[in-house]
Amino acid sequence: MTTDGRLQLTIVGGFLGSGKTTWLRHQLFAAHFAGAHVIVNEAAETPVDHALLDASGGLTVLADGCACCTGAAAFRDALLAICDRRAEAATGQLVLETSGLADPGAIVDLIQSHPVLIRHIVVHEIIVIVDALHGWTALETQPVAQAQIRAADRLVLTKTDLAPADDVGRLRALLQWLSPGAAQSGASFGSESSLPGMAALPDTSPVLASDAPAITTCQLDLGPDPDWTALTLWLSALLHARGDQIVRVKGVVAAPAGRLLVQGVRRHVQSPEILPKTDGPQPDDNRIVLIGSGLSSDAVARSFARIAAAG
Amino acid sequence: MCSLCGFPAAPGHWTEAGAATAHDRLRERFRRVAMLQALVRPMGIGVHDGGLIPGLQVAGPGGGVAIVPDLEAFWREVERLTGRPFDPLAG
Repeated sequence: MTTDGRLQLTIVGGFLGSGKTTWLRHQLFAAHFAGAHVIVNEAAETPVDHALLDASGGLTVLADGCACCTGAAAFRDALLAICDRRAEAATGQLVLETSGLADPGAIVDLIQSHPVLIRHIVVHEIIVIVDALHGWTALETQPVAQAQIRAADRLVLTKTDLAPADDVGRLRALLQWLSPGAAQSGASFGSESSLPGMAALPDTSPVLASDAPAITTCQLDLGPDPDWTALTLWLSALLHARGDQIVRVKGVVAAPAGRLLVQGVRRHVQSPEILPKTDGPQPDDNRIVLIGSGLSSDAVARSFARIAAAG
Repeated sequence: MCSLCGFPAAPGHWTEAGAATAHDRLRERFRRVAMLQALVRPMGIGVHDGGLIPGLQVAGPGGGVAIVPDLEAFWREVERLTGRPFDPLAG
């Protein structure tokens, strides 16, 4: 809490799949945001990330709508509810994990322009997570990724162990050019890691897209007893053929091995993590959320059904 | 490492994480290869997985056979043989 009694809000932003949840999860584990109330926002209808986070000071999940645009009203109400409860629960600080498509600047505007929230909440820091592997592509193609970098107070580069040092150096120079005031640090699975030196920026400024096709989310319902073989077959073919179009894949699927958390960024799918067993099926299980451009839930469902019928 | 094909025993591709036991794994491999056969046969491509050696054996229309370690490499091989990626959203 600040000296004037307002709650400190830390915004954790970053493009889709940059590693926000992984980073935040480690920070919470290392008790860096002690007693923080965590708000998780996801653009998709089906929240997945909250399954990974365990916040000591409470957790609010805002799904189906990004806090900076379509979900702004829900986000405002959630903040007001937290402010109302401040009398009985001693909330120390707030941490907001934005959706991958949110512009942190718009969220700050929303708080600053609200007559009640401005008296309760002060934005402490905007931390933007940048993927060292895909960050350059995102900046070249997605205007919102640039907006996120411009809004940052602190930039955390993730996956630096996967990207060549030269590329990380070039990315650092580009980030410095976009957001000269932001401090840069590296992280690997959330823990601090060293960064290679910054490369010199070429004489001509990099070409960045101003208008890219809109990104939408669609989801595939797998039913109560999902067919893992059909799913992997279909998804691997889809990512091979349409990997440029699909920015992010995630979902929890019940397989014989357990509840598997499947998540991927562009063509890379991580080795699935087995989530703890729960009593009975969870409402959000057995759904795959695809975030990308030019996808429709109907076409995706038809295409999966066609492949599943081959078995 | 498999002494026949030389693929090192990798921690496992994400598509193979679904099976809990060795029996499941084998059953899944047989099912997977049956489904793949149905999907790529119209393109003149054959797939074989006898369950003995790791990976899938992909036979092109000309008769040449390649061994691929996982589904990701399989779709790459199909693209190489047919000249375009197998797109599940098309058609």
